[in-house]
Amino acid sequence: MKAILNTGRTVPQGEAVEHKASPTYRAVVSVCYMNPVDLMELGITEGAHVAVTSRTGRIVLTTWTSEGVSRGEIFVPLGPYANHIIAPETHATGMPDFKGETVDIVPTDEPVKDVGSLMEEIGGLRYDH
Amino acid sequence: MIIKDVVCPFCGCLCDDLDVEVEGQKVIKVQNGCALAEAKFTGSGRLPAPIRRTPTGWDDVSYDDAIRETAEILVAADRPLLYGWSSTHGDAQSMGVHIAELIGGVIDNTSTVCHGPSILAIQEVGHPGCTLGQVKNRADVIVYWGCNPTEAHPRHMSRYTTFATGFFVPEAQKDRTVIVVDTRRTESAEIADEFIRIERGGDYEVLSALRAIVRGKGNVVPKMVAGVSREQLFRVAEICKKAKFGAIFFGLGLTMSAGKYKNVRNAIELTDELNRHTKFTISPLRGHGNVYGSNEVFTWITGYPYAVDFSRGIAFYNPGETTAVDILRRGECDAALIVASDPGAHFPHAAAAHLAKIPTVLIDPHMTATTPLCRIQIPCTIAGIDAEGTAYRMDGVPIRYRKVITSSYPDDADILKKIHDRIREVQGS
Ligand code: SF4
Repeated sequence: MKAILNTGRTVPQGEAVEHKASPTYRAVVSVCYMNPVDLMELGITEGAHVAVTSRTGRIVLTTWTSEGVSRGEIFVPLGPYANHIIAPETHATGMPDFKGETVDIVPTDEPVKDVGSLMEEIGGLRYDH
Repeated sequence: MIIKDVVCPFCGCLCDDLDVEVEGQKVIKVQNGCALAEAKFTGSGRLPAPIRRTPTGWDDVSYDDAIRETAEILVAADRPLLYGWSSTHGDAQSMGVHIAELIGGVIDNTSTVCHGPSILAIQEVGHPGCTLGQVKNRADVIVYWGCNPTEAHPRHMSRYTTFATGFFVPEAQKDRTVIVVDTRRTESAEIADEFIRIERGGDYEVLSALRAIVRGKGNVVPKMVAGVSREQLFRVAEICKKAKFGAIFFGLGLTMSAGKYKNVRNAIELTDELNRHTKFTISPLRGHGNVYGSNEVFTWITGYPYAVDFSRGIAFYNPGETTAVDILRRGECDAALIVASDPGAHFPHAAAAHLAKIPTVLIDPHMTATTPLCRIQIPCTIAGIDAEGTAYRMDGVPIRYRKVITSSYPDDADILKKIHDRIREVQGS
C-alpha cells in the first residue's frame, strides 16, 4: 500500500527522548499510526509489524490504530526510525521533507530493530555500558 | 528540600513556576510541570565519563585528553561543522560561535530542522508577534496551525491560551475561541471550537483562500479548498475578523510540509491582512527549550540566526547550502562538533551517516543516538538542572535557568572554553 509519511512529536516520545538506548524509547518511536480502514485493507490488526520502504531506506515498525490519521497517511513519531527512511534532500531550504515522504507499506513478520542496530547500519558502533 | 519557581528547560514554553523537590543531589518530585518536565528532571541515563571509540569498542578517557583531542581534530579540519546548541544556555552557544570563527567552520543550530523556514519567511516579510503575556491577557481568538501543543508543548494551552484566565479574558473557556488547523485530528483538535482539517500539502491554498476572503475577494474561492469547505473558510474568516485580539501559533506542519517557508510567509501575510480589521499576531511554537536563544546568540555575534559559514573569514549565510543537513548529505565536512542535540536521531540517516565517516565529537550529558556515530563523547551538566544560564522563551523573553542540584560534571561552556583556548594555543595565536 502506498502512503504519505507524516512525523511529529508525541508525549511518550518526549518522555523517553533522553533514554535513547532504552526499550521504552524504541517502543514509542517505532510505532506506525494508521487509519483503521487502511489496517483492514492490509489484512492485519493493531500490533502487527509492517515494513515501510521509501526512496532511501526500509524500516520495520509496529502498527497502531489512530482514527485521527487520514486514510493514505501514516504517522511515525520523530526519531531514528522515521529518519531511517526520510530522504536528506532539502530543496535548497535546509529542511528535509519530514512531512510528505511517499512510502510503500507491506505486512511482515520481521522484528523491530533496536536503535543501536539502526545506528550500526549507518556506520556507528553501539555503546551499551 | 523544595525549590520554588524553577524553570523547565525542556520545551520553548520555559515554564517558570515549577516546584522541584530535591533529596541529596537527586530530583525526586516535580510539581506543576507536565509529563515531559517530570521525565526531564527525574531522568537518568547520563554518560558517567568521557569515552573514545576504538576499532572494536569504547575506552574511557580523561576530560583533559578528550578536550585536547577535540581541539586537534578541529584545527586539522578543512571544513568543520559545529552543530546543535539548543538544549544548552547562552554562554555555551556564544563560545561555540567563537570556536567556529577561530577555525573557519560552519555553525548551525537545531532550528535548521525546526523553524529555520519560519526565520526565512520572517526575513522576507517581518514578524507581527507579541509576548505570551499579551496573548494570555488579551487574546479572545487563538489559532493553532500545523501544531499539536497537547503533545509538544503540553502546558501552552493551560498557561497562555485555551484554559488560562487573563486580565481581559476572565473566563478562559467561555471568552476564548480556539481554532485548530491540521491534517490529523489530534488531541489539540478535539479541544478546539473549530477544527479545520486540510489535505496534506494544502496549507498554502487554505491560507491563500482565507487571505482572499478577509480581503473581500471571497467570490474567487471555490467550493472546496484542499479538503476544506467554502462555508467553513468564510465562518473562520468571520471569527477572526470579529476578534478583539487574535493570536496565531504555528508549528512544523507549515515548516516541514511542501512549500515550507512559503507556507509561513503566507500565514504572516494573512496576519497582515487581518490587521486591517483588528489586532492579530503570529508566532512559531519553538521546540527545544533554548532554540530561540541559539538564534539570538548567533545573531548578536554574527548577524545571522543559523547556518553561519566562517570559511571566507567573514560570516556568510545561505540556508540550503550552509545548513547542517545539506553539508552532511553532500559529505562536505571533514570533522564535526555536536553540542546539546541529537542529529543521530533527528536527521535523515542518509545525512547523519556522514558523521560516522569523519571524526565527530559529541558534548552531551546523555547517551544518545549520536553516541554510536561519534569518535569522542564528553559528558557535561544539563542546563537548567545542574547548571544555570540564560535561555530565551519561544516569544523571545530571556529567562534565567536555575541550578537545582550540584553534580561533578563540568559545564559545557567551560569545556568549550578549554577547547577554544587549546585551539588558540595550537594555532599559535
Ligand atoms: S510545557 Fe514545556 S516548558 Fe512547560 S513544563 Fe512542559 S515541557 Fe516544560
